Amino acid sequence: MTVTIGLPSKGRMKEDCSAILARAGLPVVAVGNDRSYRGRVDGREDIEIAFLSASEIAREIAAGTVDFGVTGEDLVREGLAEVDARVEFSARLGFGHADVVVAVPEIWLDVDTMADLADVAADFRARHQRRLTVATKYWRLTQQFFSQRHGIQLYRIVESLGATEGAPASGSADIIVDITSTGSTLTANHLKVLSDGVILRSEACLVRARRKEHDSDPVVAEIVERVRAVV
Amino acid sequence: MPLINLPAFAPALAEDLAALKAERVDTPVIQPAAPFLDMAGEDLRRRIFLTESETGESLCLRPEFTIPVCIRHIETATGTPKRYAYLGEVFRQRREGSAEFYQAGIEDLGDPDVARADARAVADAVSVLARRLPGRPLAVTLGDQGVFEAVVAACGLPAGWQKRLIHAFGNHAHLARLLEALSDPEKTEVFNPELEKLAIRGLLEDEASLAAHIDATMQATGYSTNASRSPAEIARRLKEKLELESIRLDARTHGLLTEFLGVDVPLADAPAALFAFAERSGLDIAPALSRFDARVAAIRNAGVEPDIVTYRAAFGRPLDYYTGLVFEVTVKGETAVLAGGGRFDRLLTLLGAADRIPAVGFALWLDRIETAINEGRARA
Repeated sequence: MTVTIGLPSKGRMKEDCSAILARAGLPVVAVGNDRSYRGRVDGREDIEIAFLSASEIAREIAAGTVDFGVTGEDLVREGLAEVDARVEFSARLGFGHADVVVAVPEIWLDVDTMADLADVAADFRARHQRRLTVATKYWRLTQQFFSQRHGIQLYRIVESLGATEGAPASGSADIIVDITSTGSTLTANHLKVLSDGVILRSEACLVRARRKEHDSDPVVAEIVERVRAVV
Repeated sequence: MPLINLPAFAPALAEDLAALKAERVDTPVIQPAAPFLDMAGEDLRRRIFLTESETGESLCLRPEFTIPVCIRHIETATGTPKRYAYLGEVFRQRREGSAEFYQAGIEDLGDPDVARADARAVADAVSVLARRLPGRPLAVTLGDQGVFEAVVAACGLPAGWQKRLIHAFGNHAHLARLLEALSDPEKTEVFNPELEKLAIRGLLEDEASLAAHIDATMQATGYSTNASRSPAEIARRLKEKLELESIRLDARTHGLLTEFLGVDVPLADAPAALFAFAERSGLDIAPALSRFDARVAAIRNAGVEPDIVTYRAAFGRPLDYYTGLVFEVTVKGETAVLAGGGRFDRLLTLLGAADRIPAVGFALWLDRIETAINEGRARA
């Protein structure tokens, strides 16, 4: 069987992935020209590379069209239900660090923790005739964190696909759940992360689709082993 | 169009509901999604079937009947008291069972006699089930958020804590965690640098100047002062929070709340058990207990065998529109909930009713009733 690895098709992530795989003794080369969406590992007939857009990789792993993928843990956990039953996070790769966080306006001087936020959410409807709104593209992570971890049910998600951190100032939402690596965008928008508001410390991971036929496949085991040895 | 997947007993059930003097109503299967998400929270979003209208309005397949029936009541403005019955298909993803299934039930709106209306809801649910499941013993679990609220208030806890505890009522794990957190002497929240600065400037002493400072900061940083939380609201809660900072939940109160939440007795014994708890603890919960006792008497008068009902003090639903009674009915010794109900005095106002309308109701799970009927046949 040929083992397929889905890699980001462009940008910094693509370079970092290639570097890690090269260190692991699996140098990636493009098939045809540099822009090609197929690749292979030099000298290995049994491994194929599929270059995919970052947002598609989680879905392709779930659909079983690739055996492995390299992508952010946040995208995998957001994209798939029952994620730990469906995929294995085989290795954490040490790049693409970003935290998914709950951030509120800095001026909410009384709100430092999720418990504070729960108080505010509980009262919100009575004061404002609407629920507290959360701007985010992370629907699943937000729901899991708010209701399962912190018992907060009464809020509404406002979908935000870009410039989420501007939503509170513009009045389109009260608070946000978003990704941050340095926190500088949050600060620039006068937002603060709650002290227990880190939902996920994400980084790029080698992710394997859990499939029965992998158990007896030496190539699958070899890829995991080689990558683990260099991170 | 005849519905061929309708359980065979559905017409008989509908007749039973009609005999309970409830007006049969129907509501469209396709509903605006916002009221459901607003009332039940974002968690529901994963379980309902959402779509969009051509103009971008968020729509869903009816996930339950209570909210549509109440909205219909408000829109038709027909006055109260009013009893509505429904029977129809609902669409909701569940851990077990199909995502499209039938529910029936009664919503009793505007009866000012709370004990009588509560008792009637329990009695109606039990009698309708008993007619479908002759010879099968039923069991009712009953809870009352009102008693919990009274206990929390009588403990003399700060208002902010009372709200937190009441909000968590019905979610055992969350409530237990909350009690631990409030008791933990180590866990005082940090006085952060921002607050230090305000304290040095003397702004924490006076709520009005604090609000003015917040207002000025919001304007300077481009935040609208009226789109979300207002300066006055933030200042008020900050004051409250700072006052709570040094207080911890004492061991005695923690013990009392835990003891109360552990009460699990036959309903007939519940008034005495609660009275004994009040005596022992010295908590003044007399008004809540007399309402509780009135309901117990009303349930007996409504013809429910008292020994099939169990009172569980910790039983509740962690949604802010439930206010008093909650109950569930199963076949005795089984776990499948065949009927669930409760009082939701806040729902109609939240949905936009001009006046406060007390409300109580219950829903029957037709697929589970069908399973119970078949099990009964298999045994016979």
